[in-house]
Amino acid sequence: MKPRVACRTGRWAAQVLAVLALLGLAPQAKAQFGDFLKKATEKTQKVQKALQPMTVEEEREVGREVAAKMVAFFHLYKNEPLTRYVNMVGATVAAQSERQDITYHFAVLDSDDINAFSAPGGYIFITRGAVALCEDESELAGVLAHEVGHVAGKHVLKIVERDKALRAGMDEAKAYTPGSAYLHKMSKGILVKLIDQGLAPGDEYDADQRGVRYAHAAGYPADGLARFLTKLDQATAQGGKSFWTRTHPPVKDRNARIQQTITAQHWEDADRPKLADRFTLQTKMVKPKAGA
Amino acid sequence: MRRILEVCLLLALSAGLTAGGAPPTSPQDQSQQDQSQQGQGKSDKDQQKKKKKGGFFSGLKAITGESSEQQEVTATAGSKTVGEGEQMGEAKPTAADRQAVTAMENYSIPEKDVKKFQDDGKLKPKQ
Repeated sequence: MKPRVACRTGRWAAQVLAVLALLGLAPQAKAQFGDFLKKATEKTQKVQKALQPMTVEEEREVGREVAAKMVAFFHLYKNEPLTRYVNMVGATVAAQSERQDITYHFAVLDSDDINAFSAPGGYIFITRGAVALCEDESELAGVLAHEVGHVAGKHVLKIVERDKALRAGMDEAKAYTPGSAYLHKMSKGILVKLIDQGLAPGDEYDADQRGVRYAHAAGYPADGLARFLTKLDQATAQGGKSFWTRTHPPVKDRNARIQQTITAQHWEDADRPKLADRFTLQTKMVKPKAGA
Repeated sequence: MRRILEVCLLLALSAGLTAGGAPPTSPQDQSQQDQSQQGQGKSDKDQQKKKKKGGFFSGLKAITGESSEQQEVTATAGSKTVGEGEQMGEAKPTAADRQAVTAMENYSIPEKDVKKFQDDGKLKPKQ
């Protein structure tokens, strides 16, 4: 009998001690597991947010910062009749865009360079030099429609959304405050991409296709952009300054694709208005004077 | 039987020791612990191993863009492309510049004026 009792007592004691041991470890284990879970949750949330598309409000804030830097660098060309005219033509082509969840804003930059830019959120700029190079309203419409095409196609936005380094810091409390470190980094990254590196050729061709479509749907001849590009090529060959020819695909290729679309869609409407007279009247302030 | 008892006792003792030492640590205690750990001396090999493994979250760090390695890559990419875009990116907008952007946002032309503009130009927009 005695050994059996001793055995039972021993087993009971062993079980009690095992439970005690587990209870002793429990607080530390709980603390460690709790930390692990907290960290994992935080990281998962950050990853999920970094991979999510930007909201329209976020896009607008980023675009506003890019626009502010462009204005700071070039300064706006302050001429109310020209601003109004460019906004009229811009609004006419932008109304044909598939993307209507944002408002498109147009302005003229005070620069002799032949450039046009678009920032996320619908901020579209054309330089005084680019307006001066156009010969009629349909060409101006073609250029503005190309920029609307970039915004509608979210070409810059998609690059930003994919760039995890650019998006780092997006969840900080004041990330979207004008002038914040996050917006500075983001807008600088966009400007380097736009002006120094250029978008992917596919994005440029896509913006061309969209631009041709919007201009045609607005009632302009579909080849306004192609005519402008031909002039741009000639102007830069003669020393004109433009980042379009440096960072964009060759004009020959772009115009060949535009022409292909026009032919395929039967958009060769000779009777559509180019509006050269109205354009000349409205843009006389940027045209170089004869003999100058 | 004795062996079981011995093992359990050892477990209980170790549990008591670890549980008693770990959870309620003030920052001061923590730093003291760290110092004592450093005093004990972690070998370089251990640290190298840790670096190589990178921890469980090292992969996620790359995605969230928090790692210092990634900042390095970004800085290098930036320095390679010094151009007008970079200069523009460094521009510091003044209050007047921001006001100009706000004015650009608020600039609107009444719909009837746009319609008249289109009619005058004999444009026939689809929308």
